[in-house]
Amino acid sequence: MTELPFDAVLVANRGEIAVRVLTAAREAGLRGVAVFSDADAKALHVELADEAIHLPGQTLAETYLNTDAIIAAAQSSGAQAIHPGYGFLSERADFASAVKQAGLIWIGPPPEAISTMGDKISARLKMMESGVPVIPGEELSVPDGADHLGQLAACAARVGYPLLLKASAGGGGKGMRAVSEPKMLRTEYEAASREASAAFGDGTIYVERLLVGARHIEVQVLADSHGNCIHLNERDCSLQRRHQKVIEEAPSPVVNAELREAMGAAAVMAAKAVDYEGAGTVEFLLSDRGDFFFLEMNTRLQVEHPVTEMITGVDLVLKQFEVAAGMTLGLTQSDIGITGHSMEARIYAEDPSKGFLPAIGDLAMWRAPAGPGIRVDTGVREGDSVTVDFDPMLAKLVVHAPTRTAAARRLYNALSDLRALGVITNIGFLRQMTIHPDFVSGSITTDYLDSTDISEFAEPEHDPSTLVAIAAAASRFGLDRVGVAGGDGTLVDEHTGHAGDPFRTLSRSFP
Amino acid sequence: MEWSIAESTRYSVKLSDSEGTLNLAGLTADGQEKTHGEISIARDAQANRLLVEIDGSAHIAHVAKVGDDWWIHLDGRIHMVTGHEPGSSSDSSGEGGLTAPMPGTILEVHVKEGQRVREGQTLLVMEAMKMEHRIQAPKAGEVVALNFSEGERVDMGATLVELGD
Repeated sequence: MTELPFDAVLVANRGEIAVRVLTAAREAGLRGVAVFSDADAKALHVELADEAIHLPGQTLAETYLNTDAIIAAAQSSGAQAIHPGYGFLSERADFASAVKQAGLIWIGPPPEAISTMGDKISARLKMMESGVPVIPGEELSVPDGADHLGQLAACAARVGYPLLLKASAGGGGKGMRAVSEPKMLRTEYEAASREASAAFGDGTIYVERLLVGARHIEVQVLADSHGNCIHLNERDCSLQRRHQKVIEEAPSPVVNAELREAMGAAAVMAAKAVDYEGAGTVEFLLSDRGDFFFLEMNTRLQVEHPVTEMITGVDLVLKQFEVAAGMTLGLTQSDIGITGHSMEARIYAEDPSKGFLPAIGDLAMWRAPAGPGIRVDTGVREGDSVTVDFDPMLAKLVVHAPTRTAAARRLYNALSDLRALGVITNIGFLRQMTIHPDFVSGSITTDYLDSTDISEFAEPEHDPSTLVAIAAAASRFGLDRVGVAGGDGTLVDEHTGHAGDPFRTLSRSFP
Repeated sequence: MEWSIAESTRYSVKLSDSEGTLNLAGLTADGQEKTHGEISIARDAQANRLLVEIDGSAHIAHVAKVGDDWWIHLDGRIHMVTGHEPGSSSDSSGEGGLTAPMPGTILEVHVKEGQRVREGQTLLVMEAMKMEHRIQAPKAGEVVALNFSEGERVDMGATLVELGD
């Protein structure tokens, strides 16, 4: 690789994405600088970094969202570049500008691209101007105290039912509500507006036609500062629960070469319309009739970026570093192919039997699966506590196999080998999902999970006598007095038998 | 020691020791003798891993103890078995008390003290981790006490509503 004009990068994030970016930095020969709050003092990303800088304070605003403190941390540590990961400050144009004004390199798109795409209205206008197809919809901004009901009803009638109310400022499913008929409009609007205010400080709501039976297809793009822009195929993220993705895959089981080319071209057009640079994702809804509509552009790395890396062999974080350094992509559209099929399951600390309520506790055992075509991106390790402080995503379990069927089976087996004890997780639900006929046949649409009885994915029970006998035997053997990590507290790698390998959970195996 | 799995049934087991291997020699559920398969359990070289033979077929179980719970990973599935001192009261969730599943804020209160509610009825809506959660009645009954009002912050495990019969 050509020399980069910076030798140290600060990662303004935590958890698995901080680990992912710090690992990529190390692989690129860069020094990795982490930041951390009190709650993360012993976190994996801190342990992995060459240098870690403490952000004092209790709230997110004082720590991971504290732009001044993060820029100061970069300057004091000698990091010349800042990578924002996803979430937190990644889509804050003001932060991107502040980083640049401080004379640092921003590993992300231009601030103008972030603000144009970050606002659903301006993004939509820009897309309409550029000829990218959009969904019927309009914004509803109701000043405090005004009569919102009349305006709301009129707006809803113009857009048409069923419709979706979403926070204009938002993302991640917060402040988002589906309305199937007029009589539910008021209640859902009030809930959406309240969630939007709480999460983003702005209760403005966007009203949009809800495409029923549609699929969520997103296209990964990469652009450099020399005008080159390519797409890296699609990801299918149709399996969602309340607009939170559950399992993502690439390529999509329903996108053929012709549609891929059309959607890829639209995504490149969208990126070029805002002079995009770096890695970005253009999200589309694909209707059951095969029409696709622009949903939004995420001007950052996505959680599910690994599935694209698996099928294209392109390391997206490394490309982000290179583009930020002013290098050309070094890839043309014809260099991008598809090898096999990849799936990613998001492992959450949550209880599917209780409405997916976030769960907390101590990871008394955390042993991730390994093997050909299995990649685990995680920010936790055995012994860590799962608290209410942050997002309950523990890991992303990613598999790669020659075919979709083989990938689904590999995912099932890998999920079965993931031994996460001490905290309730969605692993069982994900296992059942991967063998469910609707998933296996590739016929999942975005409304699937919200309209399916979750108990369908409950796992068959073991015979109680076996479980009770194991618990009694474990007590009799005195295993409750032995630390999980072995008597002397050292971690033993289950596969190699070597003790004390802190990087084991990071092992990424590319077939 | 008595054991329970998710529901309130209390199990007790008899294990016989044959050269370090434990065999299931008796099982009762709520005091009733139950038939059971042939189960033998031996320790593995690796701590917290057990070799389990169920009716002649070999399995590996990974176990970890957290509080009173044994977490068991067996055949790809994760289970929790809770240990109880013999004779302790059966329902650990208290007498019809509904507790906050997470720390958060009460957004809406849908019931009044003295009101009768049906099973599954939404009693409260709370906000936790930026999402709204509905607290629903696990059974039909009367609201005996309502401990919080809208806007109040609650800690995890706080009793929100007490339901009587």
